[in-house]
Amino acid sequence: MLWYKSWLETRWRFLIGLALLMCSAGAMVLMYPRVQELLTVAPSVDVGGEIGRRIREAVELSREYRGFVWVQGFSQNFPQMGTLFAVLLGTGGLLSGGAALFTLSLPATRAQLLRVRAATGLAEWFILALVPSLLIPLLSPAIGESYSVGGAIAHGVCLFLAGGVFFSLALLLSTLFGDIWRPLLITLAIAAVLGLLEQLPPLTGRGVFGVMSGETYFRTGSLPWAGLFVSAAASAAMFYAASVHFERRDF
Amino acid sequence: MADPLVIETSGLQKRYGSAEALRGLSLQVPKGSIFGFLGRNGAGKTTTIKILLGMAHATSGEARVFGLPAGSPAEGVEIRRRTGFAGEEKDLYDYMTVGEIVRFTAAFYPRWRPDLEQRYRKSFELPADRKVKALSRGMRTKLSLLLALCRGADLLILDEPTSGLDPAATEEVLQALVAHAGAEEMTVFFSSHQIGEVEQIADRIAIVDRGRTAVAGPLDDLRDSYRRIQLVFAGEAPDPVFRASGLVRARRKGRVLSLLASSGADAIIREAQALNPVSVDVTPVSLKDIFLESVAGED
Repeated sequence: MLWYKSWLETRWRFLIGLALLMCSAGAMVLMYPRVQELLTVAPSVDVGGEIGRRIREAVELSREYRGFVWVQGFSQNFPQMGTLFAVLLGTGGLLSGGAALFTLSLPATRAQLLRVRAATGLAEWFILALVPSLLIPLLSPAIGESYSVGGAIAHGVCLFLAGGVFFSLALLLSTLFGDIWRPLLITLAIAAVLGLLEQLPPLTGRGVFGVMSGETYFRTGSLPWAGLFVSAAASAAMFYAASVHFERRDF
Repeated sequence: MADPLVIETSGLQKRYGSAEALRGLSLQVPKGSIFGFLGRNGAGKTTTIKILLGMAHATSGEARVFGLPAGSPAEGVEIRRRTGFAGEEKDLYDYMTVGEIVRFTAAFYPRWRPDLEQRYRKSFELPADRKVKALSRGMRTKLSLLLALCRGADLLILDEPTSGLDPAATEEVLQALVAHAGAEEMTVFFSSHQIGEVEQIADRIAIVDRGRTAVAGPLDDLRDSYRRIQLVFAGEAPDPVFRASGLVRARRKGRVLSLLASSGADAIIREAQALNPVSVDVTPVSLKDIFLESVAGED
């Protein structure tokens, strides 16, 4: 029944996230022919510096379907929206809502409470990361294109494991604070700072968002194993810290 | 042979930063008793309950429920499996309906009592399809009580069970509690600062003050043994030292010396008469008086 409780607590965040990410994936695929038309008539971009280089690269990559999907979906929309929903799924349900004492009066250990809450959120985050990605190969034939299922899964896995860092951070902060707002805002602020830092040339593509986007996989065909391992290790460490703190905490 | 103890604490201390919530609290709650845990707001009642249920960790001292250490995570599960609980705030899962939260709670308790569930749902008039967040304070209290009573528990721990209720609802809840405890032969440990309701249903009490047990025992024994002795003198009342045991408090005001004895009133009276008062008045003491004297500041 703890699973049922966790599902009730997170279902709307999960379902809204799933709907938005699937709409985003679907709209991206269906808009591709129109984007192609615009790219042919659009004047060449004449902006200097790093930003100009990136815009030109994005335009060039978007001329080809696989590149367009990566630029629009896996490197932008999915990591940004995914981060928001990973954080939302990791937030709340442990102490918030005022019913913590009722939950703690049940014959379940705190470790069980935390494990079930984390597992429910992670399962939902896994679906959010994988299902919209898989929608791309499913919808592509509708516009006369194709996209490999293997590629969609690889990007989905990158999104899931790297985005799991934000989920775990939100979960850890949820064991520290009694409200849902501080874990949510602090994790989003940290994500925003990391995102901005990754815009600086020496760090471009080397941080958590770089791993989420699966840039290495897009450019070389091999998964960013080191980044995925570090992300999984960081998530595991934060979960461990959350469980230690949750066990010791007074309510 | 004395009844076995369901709850036992000794030297229980709890510190929150620099604040001491409990300062060596000792309690013995025998099996089958209805135990009123009285104290002012902030006296340490809720902290004690939280420690008993593993919701807070004691700084030092020992707390045992059913003979099991309350601070152990594994034993705590067994304690909570045999204990029904309703918290002071009656906070439940707002997003569930009454039916959902009943089913949710029942799933944790192998000895859940569907017969009692049906009875209390009917007598408390709890609509199964109404969301918890839409319930009034009184209905929430009744739902909390239902969730605690139907667990098939051996022990019921209630933190301020009637707080926020109107007199009619308070009476209804107390009657349900007494009837249930009598029928199920369970131990009830409830905290309150409402002396009237403790007098109404408790057979044993402990008065906690500033984190310590000030008074404890069977309620009838306390009523029988406590006496107020009022001595009036011709001049200013003296400030004597009594050798007899049982003197709880002595207050001097002008010509009057007022003594509160927890036991041995006769011996104290004999000593007092040696002071040559013009009158000696001995009266029984109500629980309210015992409570007020126990939690009053030191003179």
